[in-house]
Amino acid sequence: MNIRSILSIVGTLLFFLGLAMVFPLACSVYFGDGDLQAIFLSVIITCAAGALLYLLCRPTEGKIALTHREGFLVVALGWFLAGIFGSLPYLFQGVVTTLSDAFFESLSGFTTTGATVLNNIEAIPHGILLWRSLTQWLGGMGIIVLSIAILPLLGVGGMQLYKAELPSPVKDKLTPRVKETARTLWIVYIIISTVEFILLLFGGMDVFNALCHTFTTMATGGFSTSDAGVGGFHSAYIDIVITTFMLIAGINFTLHYALLMGRLKLIKRSSELRFYLAMIIGAVILVTFNLRVHVFEEAGTALRYASFQVVSVVTTTGYATANFNEWPALSKMVLLFLMFIGGSAGSTGGSIKCLRILLILKHSYMELYRLIHPHAVRGVKLDSKPVPNEVMASIWGFFMLYLTMTVVAAVILSSLGLDMMTAFSAVAATMGNVGPGFGAVNAFSTYADIPSFGKWVLSFCMLAGRLEIYTVIILFVPEFWKR
Amino acid sequence: MRVVVVGAGEVGFNIADTLSREGNDVIVIDRDEERLKVLSDTLDVETILGSGSSPRVLKKARLEQSEMILAVTDSDETNIVACLIASAQSKVPFKIARIRAPDLNKDSIIFDREHLDIDLCINPERESVKHVINLLEYSGASEVIDFAGGRIKLIAFPIEGDCIAVGRRLRELNGMFEGHLLVASITRQSEPFVPTGKTVIEEHDTVFVFAESSTIRDVLQFFGRSTEASERIFIMGGGTTGLMLAEALEKKGIFTKIIEKRQDRCETLASALDRAVVLHGDGTSQNLLKEENIQDADYFIAVTDDEEANILGALLAKRFGAKRSISLIKKVDYTPLVSTVGIDGVMNPRHATIGAMLHYIRKGKVISATPVGDENTEAVEFVALETSKIINRPLRDIAFPEGSIVGAILRDDRVIIPSGDTVILPGDHVILVAIRSAIPAVEKLVTVSLDYF
Repeated sequence: MNIRSILSIVGTLLFFLGLAMVFPLACSVYFGDGDLQAIFLSVIITCAAGALLYLLCRPTEGKIALTHREGFLVVALGWFLAGIFGSLPYLFQGVVTTLSDAFFESLSGFTTTGATVLNNIEAIPHGILLWRSLTQWLGGMGIIVLSIAILPLLGVGGMQLYKAELPSPVKDKLTPRVKETARTLWIVYIIISTVEFILLLFGGMDVFNALCHTFTTMATGGFSTSDAGVGGFHSAYIDIVITTFMLIAGINFTLHYALLMGRLKLIKRSSELRFYLAMIIGAVILVTFNLRVHVFEEAGTALRYASFQVVSVVTTTGYATANFNEWPALSKMVLLFLMFIGGSAGSTGGSIKCLRILLILKHSYMELYRLIHPHAVRGVKLDSKPVPNEVMASIWGFFMLYLTMTVVAAVILSSLGLDMMTAFSAVAATMGNVGPGFGAVNAFSTYADIPSFGKWVLSFCMLAGRLEIYTVIILFVPEFWKR
Repeated sequence: MRVVVVGAGEVGFNIADTLSREGNDVIVIDRDEERLKVLSDTLDVETILGSGSSPRVLKKARLEQSEMILAVTDSDETNIVACLIASAQSKVPFKIARIRAPDLNKDSIIFDREHLDIDLCINPERESVKHVINLLEYSGASEVIDFAGGRIKLIAFPIEGDCIAVGRRLRELNGMFEGHLLVASITRQSEPFVPTGKTVIEEHDTVFVFAESSTIRDVLQFFGRSTEASERIFIMGGGTTGLMLAEALEKKGIFTKIIEKRQDRCETLASALDRAVVLHGDGTSQNLLKEENIQDADYFIAVTDDEEANILGALLAKRFGAKRSISLIKKVDYTPLVSTVGIDGVMNPRHATIGAMLHYIRKGKVISATPVGDENTEAVEFVALETSKIINRPLRDIAFPEGSIVGAILRDDRVIIPSGDTVILPGDHVILVAIRSAIPAVEKLVTVSLDYF
């Protein structure tokens, strides 16, 4: 394994992360509410660390070519270090006191989880808040994909990194070159974000709030700028805009690209999209009825809160306009299971993803079909195209690892003294990058009270969930390190 | 006419046979020496050994003196190259290629004058699939042929004992049936003949009836034939034809099961088909057929490469309860057997090929020519010219050769099923049925005046 080239890439990555902190820095200068020093220090340290790593390890000649394995390591290491350096502003400003809290908050940002340890968010300076939202926006489409798009750094290795960070069961490369693909995805991401930003401004939000909420909606992150969250705006318009854009962000960006290019056929054909929408509609209906009976008098109100919450959970955003921890059992159960499904593949949403669930269902149906027709030959198909057996095997493997990790992490958390619902839903919400769970980690409380070891476990869950298990778990397989 | 045929396979053999019987000079090119020997032993043709895509071999065939090249090997590429060489090297006026690739149809721009310059692409498999689909739509018929772009149909069906037409003269039928139909030909004890008004219909006759497409169901009902559409279909054999057929059925939303022997081919089928059930096994296996509820099948269609297996499979399926069966039979020798043993329809890819060629061989303004039944009868669609002897006179006054009859007329989008009083006008599309022996005389009657041009 070529450690030098790995470190040089990670160094570049850190340098650009430092540059990204300049935006909050500017914000802090504008508002002048006391976080200038902390952010400035973070910029300097991050940039310096990045530059140092790069200069020490930079390749002596030519471009860097990465192997398959090195790709995994770059991505995992890159994300880990982004979490570490991204936590500097929190530490320097003193909004949190321990490294475990700071790392949790920072990684929760980059992985678009949106789980927080911060109380009294309104009191935190604007620059820090912007950084918090920006980490989600950067992590949503992927910091590695962003660097592939803008850095002239990589030769052959681009595809390895791309695959390791955006692992989708079915590969769709939009353009012949991976750099172009990465750039296209980011452009689409920026275009949709801009539209949401403008619509939120129309809804009466100020520029700062609109920007922060755009960042965290499009990334399906879920950080807000106040303890009350989106609910704090008390505006049906804002609820609707945010619901719509969460829904959009949970759809495969390849389809958004197809829409922008006018290729509607691709959209009409997509069975994943149909599954995603059908599932959401079904869940909204179920929860609306349940809420209408037990919580709200008016059907309209029930629909508004139900649709917001269902979309927020299924896209793994994690915003809350109501404390769904106090909803009836049926609604809670639906939301809990939606946490395990998540958005579409190739979207900014996390969790297992609709595509995998759909294919697993299809595969299970096929087994039944084989029992009915013992001589039939039939494979799983997606949009009329056969899905190779290796892909199916990899999906089952993913599914199993995902569930195993959930179980193991939940057992560890409960051994730390958390109650069952809290332990289980905290793991589900962090693995799936949702954010709030049930019990003690509900939408209107925080993860602050979880013991610090528990926070490291949950941080690991967030990272594993965001990088879709394999990229992280593979580092713990001894075979990986064998020469 | 001098014609060069590239490829001496099943299709090439039949084309060479038909063409030489029609009085043309035929040269056949093939790479297989054995096959050429069979050809020169049985047919009156010249054979040349070599690759059809080689300019040298084609030169040896004196292509420049030929009026037509038919490239009908199994390989699309060879066929295209042969036609290309023919037009570049020898300026052959008519080029016909057999193209099997499903995504290359004759509307494709690459075949037009500026590019490959191929006048006609024939796809025997596709044509025979179309033929079967037609049959399925009218389950009571044993043959359905389209004319005038599908507006007029010629359908054939056997007459059974309980049919009300048995023992009646044709003349009486027209009075009984509301609407128009015309019995163009009857096959009695394997002998086709063109009936007159006095002909009495007997049991076990196979009648060929012309009618407008919209009335076909009424016609079938009138003769006591089933008109229900097919819902459940078994296909035996997943080759090119089987797959094409299954795809066509799937598009129509008909529930299809397809049986194929080879495992790897099954996988190809499974990935190409969305809803059809692909079964791995032998189509003649009793267990497999029963397991898959053969008794509920409306049709069993056997389309493997093995004709004998097709016949056996079709019979077996009917034995186990399939309502009707069709089998793919290329050998004309077997055709008389079919109705005797109880197979309801034959799928013959030769028809399409030969029909396509006949169109070029027949002189005059022939739009299409199709072999009917056992190929001793032919249906020709042509435009009636000013100079023709058959216009502006009632049909009964025209001396049509024995064994020929005008079956239908299309005038400005209007379908006319003729009677003795009908008058053909210039510009009419006339569809005429003739026994093979009468064809030269018919040709003379309708096109003799063409020579003035």
